[in-house]
Amino acid sequence: MSIKLGLPRALLYYEYMPLWKTFFESLGAQIVVSQKTNKSMFDQGAKYCVNEACLPLKIFHAHAASLREKADFIFIPRLRSIKRYEYICPKFTGLPDMIRSSIPDLPPIIDTEINLHKDKSKLMDAFFEAGSFFTADRGEIKSAYQKAVAEHKRYLAQMQKGSLVNDILERKETPQNGDLKIGVMGHMYNLYDEYANISVMKKLLQEKVKITTPEMISQEIIDKKAEQMPKKLFWSFARKLMGAAIYFTEKKNVDGVIYLMSFGCGIDSFIAELCERRLRKSGIPFCLLVLDEHSGQAGVNTRIEAFLDMLRWRRDDESYFSPYGKYLCLGKDPV
Amino acid sequence: MKRCFLGIDIGSVSSNFVAVDESLNVIDKIYLRTQGQPINVIKKGLSLIKNSLVDYKVSGVATTGSGRELASLVVGADTVKNEITAHAVAALKCCPDVRTVLEIGGQDSKIIILKDKIVYDFAMNTVCAAGTGSFLDRQAARLGIPIEEFGSYAVKSKNPVRIAGRCAVFAESDMIHKQQTGQCLEDIICGLCQALVRNYLNNIAKGKTLEEPIIFQGGVAANIGIVAAFEKELNAKLIVPEHYDVMGALGAAIISKGQYEKKGYTSFAGFDIINYSYSTKSFQCENCPNCCEVIELCSEGEVSARWGDRCGMHSQVRKKIDQAI
Repeated sequence: MSIKLGLPRALLYYEYMPLWKTFFESLGAQIVVSQKTNKSMFDQGAKYCVNEACLPLKIFHAHAASLREKADFIFIPRLRSIKRYEYICPKFTGLPDMIRSSIPDLPPIIDTEINLHKDKSKLMDAFFEAGSFFTADRGEIKSAYQKAVAEHKRYLAQMQKGSLVNDILERKETPQNGDLKIGVMGHMYNLYDEYANISVMKKLLQEKVKITTPEMISQEIIDKKAEQMPKKLFWSFARKLMGAAIYFTEKKNVDGVIYLMSFGCGIDSFIAELCERRLRKSGIPFCLLVLDEHSGQAGVNTRIEAFLDMLRWRRDDESYFSPYGKYLCLGKDPV
Repeated sequence: MKRCFLGIDIGSVSSNFVAVDESLNVIDKIYLRTQGQPINVIKKGLSLIKNSLVDYKVSGVATTGSGRELASLVVGADTVKNEITAHAVAALKCCPDVRTVLEIGGQDSKIIILKDKIVYDFAMNTVCAAGTGSFLDRQAARLGIPIEEFGSYAVKSKNPVRIAGRCAVFAESDMIHKQQTGQCLEDIICGLCQALVRNYLNNIAKGKTLEEPIIFQGGVAANIGIVAAFEKELNAKLIVPEHYDVMGALGAAIISKGQYEKKGYTSFAGFDIINYSYSTKSFQCENCPNCCEVIELCSEGEVSARWGDRCGMHSQVRKKIDQAI
């Protein structure tokens, strides 16, 4: 009987799913992923979370709780830093403790610490620790690690080809046509959780929009662009988003940018503002959507529809100037 | 028979109906309170506006506002348009050179920046509804003043008090405190108007350059206290258009004319729908763990549309009906 390892489909799942899955499966574990976020799961699980937390964290609690009787272990790594001299949101550091203390009757949690702030070689130690739950053979762990890293690289390469994460994970094609190209920015767990973002991505695809996200830009470009900031951004995700925003302003390869922000997110609160200033300065329209627990789609739809109307209107009419230098309205209605 | 075009704006607080003729002159306008009953208000609005349209043939209908989807199903609209575009189109009609549109409605407040007659930028309030019509409504009711007279109290004030403008809940408790300490009503109301304007400019107009001409529209534009507070804060004159309270519906009517010119026919269901019985009911779908709240619209006892589901299982009913037609 293989050990069943539960992976909550939330937070960093979207960043590392192929890595984790390949690693643990190579060690003989059976992976149990929680369902896609849905209302009844959220209602049952989010109550365990402190009230002030952001929506993605509440969603994570719901996913962890839903794995209660389905797995022998739950994997919730304690992430402090995933890159040298960078940090990630402090809520990730406390995540395993938060889950352990607030949700009763959970299977044991594998809470390997990953802290690459000072030393990159610590990464292998972390994998040895996580792997030790399944085998004592360090050689086997090492080969599983190598397989996992190769899989992760493949995953990153697929993203950079322009596929949306959910389409990669579900082995579907991402539609590449559309008359508008929009940069959709935000944390991956907001972009790809349909429940959290009230189907924003689906709506954009329905409206015939080609979506581009920060994941589709290579790490080298992100690093280079983010260095243009007057001070080093030490939050990894902030750096990624800021680098993407600067890339858009320089390349001018998007018609507009939509930023999905979680209400109460510390990083989003200033990065959204910084991105907005940069993008506006270079003439790229910007639209901020704040996500919280509301399930009504009307407000989000109004903003998206108006934003797309504006982009199409601007594209079609903006460049009509008469040779006399005076603007001529062609009287086209934005219908 | 002359042609006319209908615009219907079903908002959270008010529902507006505007009919325009072929040269886009307003034939009639109706302003009603929605009171959470959009279907009844649509029927009532249509039955009222019908009387002034005896010489006209309705050649196009467009709906807007947060109830636009429901309204479009009931009346058979040609176009369903978001409020921002509708408001911008109407503002351009009233003042072709307009650069800034301030719009404060029941639950939303927005700013639209125009450049060369096209929408260049816009913003809407995010999670906060402070400074919108429904908050003013509530405060007027709490103070026992009809909302129509709210503004005239404000302009009488000599020494407006300072009220927290960040949040409606804080503003309310601040107001109660000031009342308890014996400040006079005019000063409190004026202080509230100033607080709301501050809130609007700091949240919604944040980082935007407000260039003249500035149009102020939406139901709250009737409030002379708010207008005065805006003018003082912006040091500019605001234009309140003649049909300020129904601008969304006016914009929709103009859009429906454009749509008619393209399409050549209308799918308007006719004024007979006033006599139809409509009912809505909602149920929770138990088919999957999403537990979507599905809404069902019945006309004359028959299901005519369902919506609200994520998977499309229920909303397909509408497609089948469309195909049958």
